[in-house]
Amino acid sequence: MRVTDRLIFDTAILNTGRTRDAAQQAQEVVSRGTRIQHPSDDPAASGMIISFNLSSDRFAAISSAAAAASDELSAVDNALDGIGTALSRARELAVQFSNSTYSQANRAGGAEEVTGLVGQIVANLNTRFGNRYVFGGNRDGASPFDPTPGPTFGNYLGDSAARKVEIAPGMLEQSNVLVGSMSTDPANPTGVLNTLKALQAALQANDPAAVQATLDSLDAGIEQVSTTRSQVGASMNAFDTAISAAKTASGDDKARATKQGDVDLIESSIRLQAAQTALQASLAAAAQSFKLSILNYL
Amino acid sequence: MADLLSILSGASTSLAAQRALTATASHNIANVNTPGYARQTAVLTTLTPAEQVNGAFIGRGATLDTVTQARDRFLEAQIPRALGNAAFHGAESDALQAFHGLDPEATGGLGSAVSGFYANLTALAQNPSDAGLRTSFLGAARTLAQTFNRTSQEIESARSGLDARANGLTSQINSEAAAVAQLNVQIRQARGTGAEPNDLLDLRQTHLDKLAELAGASPVPTSEGDVNVALRGGVALVAGSHSGKLWTKGDGQVPPHLDIGFTQPDGSTLGTLPKTAFGGTLGGTLSARDGALLTSEQRIDQLASDLAGAVNTVHSTGYGLDGVSGRPLFTLGVAGGAAATIAVAITDPGQLAMAGAPTPPATVAPGDASNAQALLGTESAALLGGKDVRSTVSDIVSQFGSSSATAQAFSDQDGALKENLTRMRDSYSGVSIDEEMIKMQQAQRGYEAIAKVIQTADQMMQTLLAIKT
Repeated sequence: MRVTDRLIFDTAILNTGRTRDAAQQAQEVVSRGTRIQHPSDDPAASGMIISFNLSSDRFAAISSAAAAASDELSAVDNALDGIGTALSRARELAVQFSNSTYSQANRAGGAEEVTGLVGQIVANLNTRFGNRYVFGGNRDGASPFDPTPGPTFGNYLGDSAARKVEIAPGMLEQSNVLVGSMSTDPANPTGVLNTLKALQAALQANDPAAVQATLDSLDAGIEQVSTTRSQVGASMNAFDTAISAAKTASGDDKARATKQGDVDLIESSIRLQAAQTALQASLAAAAQSFKLSILNYL
Repeated sequence: MADLLSILSGASTSLAAQRALTATASHNIANVNTPGYARQTAVLTTLTPAEQVNGAFIGRGATLDTVTQARDRFLEAQIPRALGNAAFHGAESDALQAFHGLDPEATGGLGSAVSGFYANLTALAQNPSDAGLRTSFLGAARTLAQTFNRTSQEIESARSGLDARANGLTSQINSEAAAVAQLNVQIRQARGTGAEPNDLLDLRQTHLDKLAELAGASPVPTSEGDVNVALRGGVALVAGSHSGKLWTKGDGQVPPHLDIGFTQPDGSTLGTLPKTAFGGTLGGTLSARDGALLTSEQRIDQLASDLAGAVNTVHSTGYGLDGVSGRPLFTLGVAGGAAATIAVAITDPGQLAMAGAPTPPATVAPGDASNAQALLGTESAALLGGKDVRSTVSDIVSQFGSSSATAQAFSDQDGALKENLTRMRDSYSGVSIDEEMIKMQQAQRGYEAIAKVIQTADQMMQTLLAIKT
């Protein structure tokens, strides 16, 4: 091949440009830590990164929502614990004052304590988690059990809706419990609050037989609280499992996305070294080729 | 018999011939870096003997016959197509590589906006009565709409930038075409003197190469020595001493882009040319504008329209905290593309229809998330294109990446072919300073020897003159 001066210089420009570009790209890969700067670098991987990231974010959101539901149920459980304790105390009073040895004054004091327990239970039933009343079903914006002293005190104002939260895409788990039957509504004559009202009235009336008659309903109320807490525990377990599974799924998808784009630092560092060596060699060869001319010998 | 004066006369002519050799080498060296220059060679020839002496012809020295230029017609015939193809795919690849609106790792892209929309909806579905979560979801919906707007604008901006480049390219092509037509005239006039105008030929070749690069135009030599130039499809850009003219005009679409029209060398208007008429940088620019970028824009429009439709269908069946149903979440503009015009129709977070239909006489319960759960279903539901939103976004990015990668691969391949041919051209037509210096040395030696001949003839003349005295 006939070698002309233009050929020598053009080749030098081309080759040093190429090797410099390769070195620059290798350096960019190492410094950024990702091999995909543009979708064209790996079209299939680019699409998969988007898909994995979307999936990862979705699972992370499910995990957060499940965690919020679990925390809310924890508040529900605490409230039910308080109700259970109050009912147990009421049962103790009922057993105690059903004995005929106690005086009217003693029973009047018991009635006063039961009144306090009713208020305590209503307060527990109006527990809020954040801005939400946890026992109102979907009507969670206001106290679900009427706190206003008077004839409607303790009436249920919520609804019977079962609130549900995602534990996996498309899969729902109930995140509330329905305790409207504890209210003072006339429709629930043996409900917890109506039983306590009956106990309070019997104590006030100094009627040991009537006091004793409330024991079965109080036992049923304690059992209701216990059963409801079991439901809460089961739901919390479901949510905790969902949190763990969703976190794992989110992490797995994030790792898959990262794996698509991230570089092997050892490999890319070696490639950078190779590219820099090639650039040095190219520059040296170009400089050497410029030196050889007949002009130096004439 | 050859007399001394004829020896001196022949030597004088031969000296001029050696000077021509030196001048040509000097011209070559001076143009060693001139683009498009083809090295020239001074061809000497023996002067025909003027007289016969005893049956033998005695020569009269050497003279310059012609100056030729080194061009390999085989290579030259392949170069325009190689230049055009390399420029086409180079321009297309560069344009697509410059667009980063669909980068998979970029923050704030379409993928993360879709992700944010559904993540906030998931949180809201857990507690729809929470005003903060409602506000957050409304913000995520706005972000999604604005990301569609921004992505669409970025694509449109890239396409408008390519319009500006195409407009500039048409001016350049017109200038180059006019230069070729003018050089056709000058070369024809110069050839009238009987000599080959090598430098004008080089200049014309340079403009022809430029036209091949800019428009993928092919040279068509004529028997008269002109070179006509044809666009793809055979439309004549240059015909002898006349050149056509490209011009641009709006295509009447929303948003508008440029069409390219053509006035033929004879002055008649051909109207708008199809994009396939152009190769080279102009063709690659138009291909990027109306190829991968337009396809991505249309698919993002389709996604915005389908997603908004799916979400609106569910949202309008639900109820806001104010008990009102039938509201869409997103609105789409009438013209300009769904992605460019999508916006959130709701400003009050309480109007977000997260609740299902209440059973009368009950009113809407703020904690009712049944419609929020239904809205979450739109994430995995097939859109009108048959794929869900995640697959569609992923597919759009992959398809754009694939188109860019293909353009880059073609660019590399055609670039290598062009490089190979231009190297071969440089090898054949380029100037070697080593060669030219040796030729100058050779001419100098000849010149010195002929000078000696003159000196010898002069001494012989002196000898003769001395006899008389």
